[in-house]
Amino acid sequence: MLKLHNLSKVYRTDEVETAALNSVNIEIESGEFVAIMGPSGCGKSTLLNIVGMLDTPSSGDYVFMGENVARYSEAKLSNIRKQNIGFIFQSFNLIDELSVEENIELALLYHNIPASERRARVERVMDKVGIAHRAKHMPSQLSGGQQQRVAVARAVVGDQAMILADEPTGNLDSAHGQEVMEMLQALNEEGTTIVMVTHSPAHADYARRTINLFDGHVVTENLRAAV
Amino acid sequence: MFRNYLKTAMRNLLRNKLFSFINIAGLAIGLAAFILITLFVRDEFSWDRHWSGADDIYRMEMTYTQPGQVDRKSPNAVDPLKDIFLNTFPEVEAVSRYLEFDVGLRQGDAMYGQRILFADHNFLDFFNVRFVEGSREAVFSDLGGAVISQRTAEKYFGTASALGKSLTLHLPNGDRDFYVAGVVENPKRDSVIQHDFLVPFNRDYFTGMRWFTEDWRFAARTSFVRFAPGTNVDAIRAAMPDLVERHMPKGTDSTETGTSWSVDVDLVKLGDVHLYGNGANGDAGVLYGFLGIAFLILLIAVVNFLNLSMARTAHRAREVAVRKVLGAARGHVIQQFLAESVLLGLVALLIALAMVELALPYYNAFLSTVLELNLMSEPVVALLLLVLGIGVGLSAGSLQALYFAMLKPRDVLYSSTSADNGTGRLRQVLVVTQFAISAGLMIIAFFVNQQTQFARALDLGFNPDNLLVVARTNNDQGDTFKRRLLASPYITAIGRSSDVPTQGSEDRMQVRPITGDDTVTIDGLPSGPDFFRVYQIPLLAGRYLEDMPADITRARGEEGEYRRSSNIIINALAAKRLGFESPQAAIGQLVAANLTRDLRVDTTIVGVVADFHFDSARDVIRPGIYYTDEYRQSDMTVRYDPANKAAALDVLNETWRATYPDSILEYTSMEDMVERQYQTDARLGEMLTMFTLLAVTISAMGLYGLASFTAERRTKEIGIRKVLGARLRDIVGLFLWQFSKPILLANLIAWPVAFFFLDDWLDGFAYRIDLSLLPFVGAACAALAIGWLTVAGRAYVVARTNPINALRHE
Ligand SMILES: Nc1ncnc2c1ncn2[C@@H]1O[C@H](COP(=O)(O)OP(=O)(O)O)[C@@H](O)[C@H]1O
Ligand SMILES: [Mg+2]
Repeated sequence: MLKLHNLSKVYRTDEVETAALNSVNIEIESGEFVAIMGPSGCGKSTLLNIVGMLDTPSSGDYVFMGENVARYSEAKLSNIRKQNIGFIFQSFNLIDELSVEENIELALLYHNIPASERRARVERVMDKVGIAHRAKHMPSQLSGGQQQRVAVARAVVGDQAMILADEPTGNLDSAHGQEVMEMLQALNEEGTTIVMVTHSPAHADYARRTINLFDGHVVTENLRAAV
Repeated sequence: MFRNYLKTAMRNLLRNKLFSFINIAGLAIGLAAFILITLFVRDEFSWDRHWSGADDIYRMEMTYTQPGQVDRKSPNAVDPLKDIFLNTFPEVEAVSRYLEFDVGLRQGDAMYGQRILFADHNFLDFFNVRFVEGSREAVFSDLGGAVISQRTAEKYFGTASALGKSLTLHLPNGDRDFYVAGVVENPKRDSVIQHDFLVPFNRDYFTGMRWFTEDWRFAARTSFVRFAPGTNVDAIRAAMPDLVERHMPKGTDSTETGTSWSVDVDLVKLGDVHLYGNGANGDAGVLYGFLGIAFLILLIAVVNFLNLSMARTAHRAREVAVRKVLGAARGHVIQQFLAESVLLGLVALLIALAMVELALPYYNAFLSTVLELNLMSEPVVALLLLVLGIGVGLSAGSLQALYFAMLKPRDVLYSSTSADNGTGRLRQVLVVTQFAISAGLMIIAFFVNQQTQFARALDLGFNPDNLLVVARTNNDQGDTFKRRLLASPYITAIGRSSDVPTQGSEDRMQVRPITGDDTVTIDGLPSGPDFFRVYQIPLLAGRYLEDMPADITRARGEEGEYRRSSNIIINALAAKRLGFESPQAAIGQLVAANLTRDLRVDTTIVGVVADFHFDSARDVIRPGIYYTDEYRQSDMTVRYDPANKAAALDVLNETWRATYPDSILEYTSMEDMVERQYQTDARLGEMLTMFTLLAVTISAMGLYGLASFTAERRTKEIGIRKVLGARLRDIVGLFLWQFSKPILLANLIAWPVAFFFLDDWLDGFAYRIDLSLLPFVGAACAALAIGWLTVAGRAYVVARTNPINALRHE
C-alpha cells in the first residue's frame, strides 16, 4: 500500500532544528493493521501526518499506491487523501456547530456525491458504529466514546482504504477504548488498512505488527501471529 | 455544499451573539452612513440631468475682467451672443434665453411679489416642457399670453382651471395685463431653471434700457445653447476669445464698449451649472470631502469586521482543519468564508436600508432637502447597492478566508486548546487604523466647528442686529419713503447705499497716495450720508458725511453728472494705504480718485471710520472710500427699536403701501444675511460631527468586541495572576493599558494628517483660528476615555471571576 524510503522530517524554528524523523524506512501492505509506539516526542504524530499527507517530508521518498507523492503539491495531496485516507484523532475533532449526521456527511461533501446517496451512506455507517439513535444530536451532547464513534464513522464513510488513528483511545476510559478498538478491528477484517499510534500495549495487541519509534528512528518491528 | 456552509455560518452566528451583533451592526451602521452620504452627494451631482438632450445643452456664461479690478462673474450672457453663436457655429442647433425679473403682480386688489422669466419664444420647445393645460402650439404666438407652472396656477387660482384667466404684472415700463395661455408641469426641485412664470420676451418692455437688450456691459440674459450631438465643445470654447475680439464693439465711449475691460465667454454643461457654473450654489470640493468621509466610515466598519473575525479565527480553526483533512481544498475554504461574509454583508445591507429609510426624514430636515431612496424605480441603484453589499462582504471576509486557506491542519488538530495564532499583531494594526480615522475625524470636526463659532463671534465692525434691508427704493419716492419712516418712533435710523455689508463691493478705484507713489486700489461704496450712523460704524477722526451739496459726489436731478470735487469718507485701512500716519492726519487732505478710468474726482477726506467687514467674513477687510451717489442707493437699511419690532414692521408695511401702492415690499434682515455667510461652514461642521459620532460608535463597538474576546482568551492567564496575588486594580489596569497603546499610537498617526488638512482648509479664511495643541490632546483623551469606558466593564467582570473557576476549565 505504501512505502517510506529514507524519509526524514526536520522542523526549523527560529533557532532550533528538530529532526522529528530520521531516515525512516517503513513498508505497509494493503489490509495490514499496524501499531506505532514510542515515548512522547519521538515522532509518531509526525510520521502519521506525513503518511496521511497532512505534511510533507524534508527528504526521502514516500510511495503511496505506486506513486511517489513526496514532492506533490498541497492540492494534489489533498485530492489523493480524500479518496483514500480517513483520520481519527485523540481529541475527536468533531465540528461543534454540526450534528452527528452532518459531521459524518462532511466527509462526503467534497466528493461530488449526490445528496440522496450521501444520506444513504451516512445512515449505513451510523448503523455500523451504533450511533444512529443520536443522529440529530450535537457533539457536545455526546459522551467521549460516542464522539469517537462518530469520528470513526466519519473516517470510513467515504470508503477509504486506509485509516490513520492518532491515539484514538487516549481520551477515553478503558471500556470505551475497548469499544473503539473492536470497531477498528472489525474494519480491518473488512479489508481496511489501519495505522494507529497508541501508548497502550493492550491496544497495540490488536495490530498485526508494531513499529517502535525512538527519537525519530525506527528501533524495532515486531510481527505478531494473527489473532 | 452551500447548505452546509450556511448551517455552520448560522450556528456560529447564533453561538457568538455578541460578535455577530457587533459585526453586523457595525457593517449596517457603516453602510447606512455611506448610503446617506452618497445619496446627498449624488443628488448634488445630478442636478438638471432630467432635461431631454441635457448632455448637449450648455449655459453661456461671461466673466468681465479689468486690470486692477476683481473679475465679475456672471451666470448670464449678453443679448448679442445668441445671433453670433447661430451665425458662427453650424453645430448650434438652437439657443434659448430668458431674463429673470422680480416684479409685482396684481390680481384683483391683492399684490404679490412674483419672479418671472421673459423667455424666448422657443423656450418651451427647447426644454421640452410638458403641458398640463393648453398646448405648446397655442402659446407664445401672442405676446399677451403667459405660461405658468401648476403650483403657480394653484397659488393664484386654487383648484379652478387657470386657462384664460388674467393677471397684471408691474413691468419696468408700466403695468401690463396677461392671460394664462398654458399651465406646465412644476419645475423639478433639482434644477437651476425654475420656470414658474414665463412671459414672452418683448423688447417694448425695455425701451430706454439698452443694457438689457443690446450692449455688452451687462450680461442679463440667461442663455442656453444646444449643440448637435457629438459636437467638440472644447473647440468651440477655444474659439471664444477670437469671437469676443471680433464682435465686441470698441468705441471711444469706454462705459459702453470694451476698451478698458474685456469678457471671457464660457460654456458650462447644463448638468454642471449647479456645482461649477458662475454663482454656483453647490461646492464640489465639499462633496468630494463628504465622499471621502463616507469611504472612511465604511472602512472603519469593514476593519471592525476584519478585526473581530481575525480575533475569532482560533474558534473556527478546528473546523477548517477538519474540513481540510476531509478533503476541502484551499478554494473550498476561501469559497466558504467569502460566502459567509457576503451573506453577512447582505444582511447588514438590508438592515442599513431599513436604517436609511428611518433616518431619511430627519436627514432631509437637517439638510433641508428631499432625498429619497426608491429601489423599485431605480434598478441601477438597487444593483449598485447589491454590489456594495457584496463588495463589503468580500473585503470583510478576505483576511479570514486567506488565513484559513493557508492554515495547516496539523497545527490545529493536535491540541485541545487554541493558542494565540499569530494574528495578534495584525489586529493591533487594524485597531490603530480604526482609531486613527476616528481621532482624525474628531479633531477635524472640532476645528471646523470652532472656526464657524469664531467667524460668528468675529467683530464685524458694525452692528448687524435689528436692521432690515429694504429693496426697490432707488427712485423718486425714495426720500419721501425715508422721511415718512423716520417720523415713526419705532424706526431709529435709516441709511442708504448701493450695496450692503456681506455683499462686497465691485467698484475698485485707483487713488494716488500723498507720497506720490503708484496709485493704490481702493474699494468704492456709493452710500448715503447716514450709512455709517445706521450701521453704527465708529468714527476715528473728522466727521460723517452730511446731507449738504459739498458732501454729495453725484446728486439726483443733475443729469447723472458727477461733480468735479466733493467730500468723502475713508476707512482706517485706506488712510494707511494712502500714506497717512494716523486717521487724524488724513482729515482735510485732498486726493485725486479715479471713479472709473476716465472719471477723476478731486476728493477731500472729511472723515475716517473704523474698518468694518463689507465683503464676506471669510475675506480680509479691504481699504474703502465712501461717497454719496444719489443715483446708486438701491438698498435702504432701516434700524428699528428691538423693543417694538412688531410695531416697527407695521409702520414699514403701512408706509410702503402709502408710498408705493403698486409694488410689493421686499426686505431681508441683516442678521439673516450675516448668518447665511456661515451656513455652508456650519452645515459642514454639523455633518462632520454627526458622521464622526458614527465613526467613533462603530470603532467603540469593535473595541468592545475585541476586549470581550481578549477577556475570554486570557481568563486562564488572569486566573494564574490572581492566584499569584494580583489585585483587582492590577488586572483592570493591565487590560486598560493593553488597549491604550493602540489608541495612543492611532492618535500620533492622526495628528499630522488632521493638522495638514485643517491648516489647508483654514487658509481659505482671512480670519481664522490657529491650530492649538490642546484639541489634539483632547481628541486623544476622548479616544482613550471612550476606549476605557468600553473596555473597563469587560475587564472588571474578568478580574472579578474566581480564579478557581477559570483554572478548572482547562
Ligand atoms: N510544527 C512543529 N514545529 C516544530 N517542531 C515540531 C512541530 N511538530 C512537532 N515538532 C517536534 O517534533 C518532534 C516530534 O513530534 P511529534 O511527532 O508530535 O511526537 P509524538 O507524536 O511522538 O509525541 C518533537 O520534538 C516536537 O517538538
Ligand atoms: Mg503525538
